[in-house]
Amino acid sequence: MTPSAFGIDVLRRLMDAAALRHQVISQNVANVNTPGYRRLAVEFEDELAKVLGTAGGSADAVAPKVVVEDRAERVDGNTVDLDREMGDLNKNTLLFQAASQIAASRFASMRSAISGR
Amino acid sequence: MPFSNLFTAQAISGSGLSAERFRMEVIANNIANANSTKSANGGPFRRQEVVFAEVLGRAGDGGMPALGGVQAVDVVEDPTELPKVYMPGHPEADPDGMVTMPNVNLPMEMTNLLTASRAYEANLRDAQQFRTMNEQALPILRS
Repeated sequence: MTPSAFGIDVLRRLMDAAALRHQVISQNVANVNTPGYRRLAVEFEDELAKVLGTAGGSADAVAPKVVVEDRAERVDGNTVDLDREMGDLNKNTLLFQAASQIAASRFASMRSAISGR
Repeated sequence: MPFSNLFTAQAISGSGLSAERFRMEVIANNIANANSTKSANGGPFRRQEVVFAEVLGRAGDGGMPALGGVQAVDVVEDPTELPKVYMPGHPEADPDGMVTMPNVNLPMEMTNLLTASRAYEANLRDAQQFRTMNEQALPILRS
């Protein structure tokens, strides 16, 4: 049984995507007062679900993508909505925590299997 | 994700924090000089405004936009008209007794101060979440 059979590779991709999304949210929040700034977003989960839904699909085939999102802009041409960014930030942190906790418990299972205790 | 990118989120939040702090400093300077009839360029003080710009770093991996945070690129003076106040005893008064005062508008400064302070909090929250995430990831290394 390879480590990927434990779903570690999917968790790793998920944590990578969450870390990247955190950077993107930081960028949006840092530029909340920059006139003309366009909000960035990370697209990943939908693509991942599509690939994993197909037979023999590997999580390595999907890479998180940073896209410029067009939304209603303020008078200064900025499209960042601080409330939404904070909501996304909380959601993203929870996603990361869930993935890292599952990964940690998978590793713990492997470790106890190896040590035989 | 390469190891060098590990603290990018922290650096971005940091740039936001220092930019917003700088904006608060400029606003404080405006308020402090709300009645200064003399300034470095001779005339009455003109209110200043910070210009923010996204940091344009090198292009990211795979055509992704580079994430470099924000920076305060310039401090510009507000060119709007300076109000005149009748103060005949003032040393700066013209023959009609009118003194040209700074164009600092207190309600406007307070609103900007609030915006800057909220944005600062948001950046701070972001940095805290970054810490939480990494604290969560570190136990994976523990045996």
